[in-house]
Amino acid sequence: MNREIKALGAAVCVSAASLSGMLVFAQVVRNKARATSHEQPADESWQLWKPEPTPDVIAKGGKLFLNSCAHCHGADARGDEGPDLHDLQMSDRHIVNVIKKGIKGEMPSFAKKHSDAEIAELLAYVRSLKDDSTPANDPP
Amino acid sequence: MDIPWAKIHGASTHLPLALAGCSWLFDMAGFALVRRPTGQQLNLVGYWTMLLAGLGTFPAVASGLLMTKGDVLDHDLVLFHHLFVWPAFVLLVGLATWRAIVGATTTQRRAFCYYLAVSFTAAVLVAGAGYWGGEMLLAN
Repeated sequence: MNREIKALGAAVCVSAASLSGMLVFAQVVRNKARATSHEQPADESWQLWKPEPTPDVIAKGGKLFLNSCAHCHGADARGDEGPDLHDLQMSDRHIVNVIKKGIKGEMPSFAKKHSDAEIAELLAYVRSLKDDSTPANDPP
Repeated sequence: MDIPWAKIHGASTHLPLALAGCSWLFDMAGFALVRRPTGQQLNLVGYWTMLLAGLGTFPAVASGLLMTKGDVLDHDLVLFHHLFVWPAFVLLVGLATWRAIVGATTTQRRAFCYYLAVSFTAAVLVAGAGYWGGEMLLAN
């Protein structure tokens, strides 16, 4: 019976070590994913440039959109290779994060191509895109 | 290059899932036929299948962690999946270690009874993990 009891002790030790090892591995993977994720908060400098969404600002954002975004999201932003951008259910901060940092394997980063002021104009344009087919906008 | 961790996880999880159940079945049959030579041969199959199941849990769990970017619990269906995965992982590694030390057969019938009870629990847990993993696929 001695061998079985010693084996039990070894089994408990190996199990505990394996579980600890996997949890440490999970932590390493999590940290690496966080470091490269577009969901990491971008710096807030764009907020300094965040203008009132006047028609002029939205028009500027629209021009930027046609130059940088339309070939994936469609000229009307109804989606093509990229998704439809009307009535986005996400925060301004998240939208700016995605524009600035991109999405790995899906969308490039535009942090170097556009200044914070331009990204704020793009945000104003994207926010102006309302889905006319939503019930709230339907005529009674 | 993006590594398809979801596919690797799907492929690697079926090894311990199938082997854990088979090991219990072979060991039960060997336990029932202990006085016959066939019983020892069945235990030998149970021994190797358990060792392979124990080894197979590592790529299965590691690929799952890489797929989910290090989530160890999460929520909803993933949480249910993980609540089965972690106990199954610990038990399978422990059982494989115990068996590797004790060998294919043991004269200690009572110790082997306990082993069979724990390996049945591990087989049920790993099957539960597989069930919730399948539910996640159906939900998506």
